[in-house]
Amino acid sequence: MSLLWARQLRALVLKDLRLELRTRDTLAAMVLFSLLAMVLLQFAFGRVESDLTRFAGGLLWVVLALTAVLGVGRSYVAEREQGVLDGLLAAPVSRLVLIGAKALAIAGYLVAVEVVAVPLVGIFFVRGPFFSELGWIVLVCLLADVAIGLLGSLMAALALFGRARELLLPIIFLPSLVPVVIAASGATHAITGGPNDMAEYRGYCLFLGVYAVTFALVTFATYESVFDD
Amino acid sequence: MTEALRGRGLAVSGTLAAVLTTLAVIGVFLVAPEDADQGIIQKIFYFHVALASASLVGFLVACIAGLLYLRRREERWDELSATAVGISLLFSGLVVVTGSIWAKASWGTWWVWSDPRLVTYLIVVLLYAAYFVLRSSAEGERRRRHSAIFAVAAFASVPLSFWSVRVANSFVHPVVFTQRGANMPGSMLVWFVVSQAAMLAVFATLVQLQLVQSRAERALQRLKSLVEA
Repeated sequence: MSLLWARQLRALVLKDLRLELRTRDTLAAMVLFSLLAMVLLQFAFGRVESDLTRFAGGLLWVVLALTAVLGVGRSYVAEREQGVLDGLLAAPVSRLVLIGAKALAIAGYLVAVEVVAVPLVGIFFVRGPFFSELGWIVLVCLLADVAIGLLGSLMAALALFGRARELLLPIIFLPSLVPVVIAASGATHAITGGPNDMAEYRGYCLFLGVYAVTFALVTFATYESVFDD
Repeated sequence: MTEALRGRGLAVSGTLAAVLTTLAVIGVFLVAPEDADQGIIQKIFYFHVALASASLVGFLVACIAGLLYLRRREERWDELSATAVGISLLFSGLVVVTGSIWAKASWGTWWVWSDPRLVTYLIVVLLYAAYFVLRSSAEGERRRRHSAIFAVAAFASVPLSFWSVRVANSFVHPVVFTQRGANMPGSMLVWFVVSQAAMLAVFATLVQLQLVQSRAERALQRLKSLVEA
């Protein structure tokens, strides 16, 4: 019985992932968008600097941060339509579980995008060892995904009922995302031949962990008030 | 009775602000010794740092008032939170402008991305500007609730932004206050404390002024609707 919340969390996350696997609306768009962003970045910078290895970590996280805006923006679409949210709020499920499940679903979307985007960044931008060091990048991705998921689920819930929510979400989501981009790209730089070393890698990973814990606490302090009564 | 008390509070802090600001301007420009290294431009430090810390106090006030609104759902906490964010945002903008002027004089360029504090303040301005975009996108009780949540989340982002930028950069910013105490002579420290107190008094006065104005606006609205009815 005490694990009821875990079962609810699992059911809610699976609902989102299953829905996405059946329609593939969001994921396909996110993957395509990340590829487009890489092409844009290449033409913006690659013409000046033919070898972008030193910038690869930063390029990856600019692409992923912008792609995350798309995923986060779509994350509550299923709930908003056809009164699903009202049903969920009426059900005996804690709102903390609702927001936590959404955070995990967003992190899941990001993992799916990274499966494509990370190797592509390696192929397009890194000249040197990349795939042999993939494990270190995977760790950065997982930490950053949890942080982005927690921040994203809260911000998307705030933007959900606002006027012009498509405009609102990036404005309220991206400034808080800046530290994640700084830390994740800093850590990735240490792996992909950028200016950082492994001591900095550990510092940035620790930072991502602290960021995730901080936003988990913020969510915990405010979750009861996020949705209408 | 309470109105009278509020009026008296505003009069006291207004007088204090006027006296302290005058004293600070006189002390900083006429009494405090000129910095041997930086010359006259160092005078901006007295206001730049005082504005920065006053704005941080304001964001803390906004965060606490936001939490109090979420607990008690009393409109006055929302009003205080929004007002504190507004005035602190103005102060943060001034921090960026004065910092930029100082950068031009010290380093010969209007902007240096390697200065962690200046960059953090730019992020803080973006972060809290989003507060008002969010606020204007919703109405009524939801507007107050979501603003309060955002005030809490944004305040959590401030130290994270500062930390992330600091990890990422070398230090070019003059570090005056260290753990071993203030790194300046007593004749400067006195005037720094005075201008710090002045900025806090200006902050308190502006907040109260804004609160009085919004209360008057509400009263006027009520009268209008009575007359129309």
